Amino acid sequence: MATQFAYYPGCIAEFSSKELDQTTKALAPLLDIELLPMPAATCCGAGDIAEAKPNLYLTLNVRILSQAEEMDVDILTICNVCTLNLRRANKMVKEDARLLEQVNEELVKAGARPYEGTKEVTHLLWYLATEAGLSLLEKQGPRGLNGLRVAPYYGCQLLRPSSVMGFEDPDKPQSLERLITALGGEVADYEAKSKCCGFPIILAREQVALKESHVALSQSRDAGADCMVTPCPLCHLAMDAYQRKAELANGTEYNMPVLHLPQLIGLALGIDTATMDFKRHLVPVDRVLETVGV
Amino acid sequence: MPTTSLDIFRYQPDTSDEAYRQTFELEHEGDITILDAILRLQDEQDGSLAVRYSCRSAICGSCACRANGKTVLACMSQVEDVKAEFGTETIQVDPIGNFAPLKDLIVDLDPFWDKFKSVKPYLIPDGPAPERERLVSKEDMQKLFRESACILCAACYSECNSLSADPEFVGPAALAWGYRFAGDVRDGQRKERAKLYTGDHGVWDCTRCMYCNERCPKGVNPRDAIEKLGGIAFQEGRSLQDGGARHAKAFLVSMRTGGKLNETLLVPMTNPVKAPFDLPFALKMIRHGKAPSPIPHRIQKLKEVQTLMKNVKETI
Repeated sequence: MATQFAYYPGCIAEFSSKELDQTTKALAPLLDIELLPMPAATCCGAGDIAEAKPNLYLTLNVRILSQAEEMDVDILTICNVCTLNLRRANKMVKEDARLLEQVNEELVKAGARPYEGTKEVTHLLWYLATEAGLSLLEKQGPRGLNGLRVAPYYGCQLLRPSSVMGFEDPDKPQSLERLITALGGEVADYEAKSKCCGFPIILAREQVALKESHVALSQSRDAGADCMVTPCPLCHLAMDAYQRKAELANGTEYNMPVLHLPQLIGLALGIDTATMDFKRHLVPVDRVLETVGV
Repeated sequence: MPTTSLDIFRYQPDTSDEAYRQTFELEHEGDITILDAILRLQDEQDGSLAVRYSCRSAICGSCACRANGKTVLACMSQVEDVKAEFGTETIQVDPIGNFAPLKDLIVDLDPFWDKFKSVKPYLIPDGPAPERERLVSKEDMQKLFRESACILCAACYSECNSLSADPEFVGPAALAWGYRFAGDVRDGQRKERAKLYTGDHGVWDCTRCMYCNERCPKGVNPRDAIEKLGGIAFQEGRSLQDGGARHAKAFLVSMRTGGKLNETLLVPMTNPVKAPFDLPFALKMIRHGKAPSPIPHRIQKLKEVQTLMKNVKETI
């Protein structure tokens, strides 16, 4: 029987980066995962609501957790920021019974279900980068990435703060590397793989953000990567959609295709390219498809 | 006794403008801190090796450095632990990041102190002093507990990604101190502080890389303090005063009207002046399907969310 999750794609994957949602949905059955929709779930607030109204952030995220509890499944995410926001709220109320009680009072007053604190939130990357997860990939056979040189790009919020995230050492992450290798790719290693992409301030402080994305883009290029892969659609926007702007701002060229994690897996497992919708990327991925042989 | 190679950043401007690296071999007891090791080298092998330190007990905040790239308090990190963590017999020791070196491991902290002073890190009470002391409830003090633990070691500053891109960013430690006073019930400058901290290079410049929370040796969680300062700015009527604030405001408006982020609203609300001039970029995004429908998505049970937005009170 397939493993069921409450599927929380987050706003960006549902709207401007639909290709991520589409690919994840196409991938799920191959990995024996059933993604259950959460039609009443809100945005996690992306750190912005926490930065404006912290109590509201907590209450809204606990409401989402409670919906998963009602479905009696854990939450699966495909976004760093959603993962951090949901896990942080979960940790806060799990560790403080009085806080949970206060939040539940508000939820009940608003007609929402109270939360008992029984569910977990995991990212697709974490689910797959375990022995059990990698064996799910192995079952799919040998198509693989044909030696594609892939630069893993973690971004920040799937790693830090480790007291909330905790899947792996934030200074020496290896989950993406394990997946890239298992899929028949080569790892193009570089130091800045867990530095910030700048996305949270890209609209308000564009020039600062573009200096931040420059670090990982230039280092991955210098490491000889054919492409970069990221588990976060916000990092993807900063690295892909804003890449040309970063080139202009920093006076250099990267020419770096950026894949969403499910797209990299999809390429190795033979999901058709129309579903993965690479046309929605701003940096063409031709050289990636050529190397993989699609 | 174990032996450790310490590969240390050297910079001796009296003799050369060029920085270089020097490797020292040190035989030592099992339980020796990085600071102990550096002081032993200074004592036994090279008296010119410069390091700033004082208490040796993780209180004074003087000896922050980078061990294998990771910012730590030298007096709080065991040599054997660092070797085990990185699986290596060599420890690279560097000065903290985002600072100019003065000599070896000593950096020029002036920008850090200037920014610290700029947040007015002291209590500014309203009106004349009362006859008896100003009492603070345990609950109110608890709100400042973490920020009060800051020892100004600059470990957060060392790895702040916003600072690397914008050296004028006031930085996590100064903002944590800002919250320590803006959030103090005895302080009379909450409104003024909200304004002071949310201009250019302030609260809204934090890129949320979370390194500050990760590295702080005292559990101050500066990012959380920055977040609370954002909340105070909203309470003090500054929700439309900066692109960063309006960015957050757009999330609140989206939440109330549909429950999900309305990306079409986010760009013009954050940057009403600049957005119309960024047309080529906008067109490119539209061409690649990156511009979502302007009609906001509406989640089921939106009423619950709207009620929460009305009812939930902030307690910053």
